[in-house]
Amino acid sequence: MKFLCVPCDTAMKLQTVAPPDRGSLAIVYACPECGYEMAMLTNAYETQAVQSLGVRIGPESDTKTADASACPFAEMIPAIEDAAVAGETAVRWTAAAEARLANIPAFVRPMARTGIERFARENGALEIDEKILDAAREFFGM
Amino acid sequence: MKGYHDIVGDGGSRILEQVAEQRGRITDGLAGVRHLLAVGSGKGGVGKSTLTLHLAGALRARGLRIAILDADFNGPSQARMAGVQGAPFVPGRHKVLLPRTGNGIAVFSMGSLIPESEALEFESAAHGESHTWRATREFALLGEILGSVEWGAIDLLMFDLPPGAERTVQYADFLGPRMSFVLVTIPSDVARGVVARSVAALSKGPNRLLGYVENMSGYYCRDCNAVKPLFVPSEPAALGIPCLGTVPFDPELARQCDLGNPLTELRETPVGRAFDEIAQRLLDCLDAKTAVRLSSS
Repeated sequence: MKFLCVPCDTAMKLQTVAPPDRGSLAIVYACPECGYEMAMLTNAYETQAVQSLGVRIGPESDTKTADASACPFAEMIPAIEDAAVAGETAVRWTAAAEARLANIPAFVRPMARTGIERFARENGALEIDEKILDAAREFFGM
Repeated sequence: MKGYHDIVGDGGSRILEQVAEQRGRITDGLAGVRHLLAVGSGKGGVGKSTLTLHLAGALRARGLRIAILDADFNGPSQARMAGVQGAPFVPGRHKVLLPRTGNGIAVFSMGSLIPESEALEFESAAHGESHTWRATREFALLGEILGSVEWGAIDLLMFDLPPGAERTVQYADFLGPRMSFVLVTIPSDVARGVVARSVAALSKGPNRLLGYVENMSGYYCRDCNAVKPLFVPSEPAALGIPCLGTVPFDPELARQCDLGNPLTELRETPVGRAFDEIAQRLLDCLDAKTAVRLSSS
């Protein structure tokens, strides 16, 4: 969708996107020529239709850096995670191992974190570093 | 006044560019995969998942490097059948590494991520009304999976498709002409009728339709070591594509699938031999340039 400032015959630029309010987004566009501003207010169907494409809505600088892999079923995964770690000693992740975890999609992270922590505990490690990740990869034949 | 096509970009969100970038990540991610093969039907309950896993096993036994993507996000079964339900996904250097079966087949299944007591749900601004957006969201998820898994250099990525003739065609559209198809039916007119619809729908696109497999073609009785009829014989309507083989029903195979022990001691049974023969035909078809391309015939 594009917006045109009719008096200036100029394409408008997206300025801001307000947080969703009951499924509606308020997306403000401005004309770079005359400064005229207008807001597009989406209904919930329109919001969801675009979000279902797995894209982010916002100014160009935001969408280039955004993590588009928000966990689509985050509410279900913590149940597994919590059950797995309940009553067990906390395991620390090094920054390098956390960085590798951050590289993978959000929807896989909780499961990966839980599985690696279990593997570490079973092998007597309380800190997960890249060596542990590589050892897990070897162990599971990946 | 300017029209839509006179304006470059959309002024902010770069929606089309983001979608193109997603597609680029998928293409890059699959660059090392020699063949893409979808196992579909249109009909549910005909044994697509069982065939996918065991054909993968038979091809693996021939030395092929294979991965399976369980594309049935709402009714995933590969994690359980392949015995990888408890195996973790491990973060690789840049992408995620998949759990593997004992014989080395990499498996992605939502069954590894979501317990069987839960249904796959997505957050929704539309508060339900999922008929208006759900398919789009699931294909975005598929794209995310394809682009974020370390598939590596493999010979074959097999897609275990969900039921629905329309879904079968949507996968063809999404993954493009690289994807070849095998359809699964059973010896029932009802099932063949649905599969015929999938054939008709796929024939309008550019994808190669290698043929079909008739599953549950009989009942393998281990006591008398013979295959007996399972369905009343009929004169089935031709599907217009090659039959790659038939596979009898073996209760022991079903039991082993439930237990997550694929392909155990099957090779010397009629079922095992059937998988082996079909795997060889599939291999011949995938490597042949003469495979059926209905839209050009």
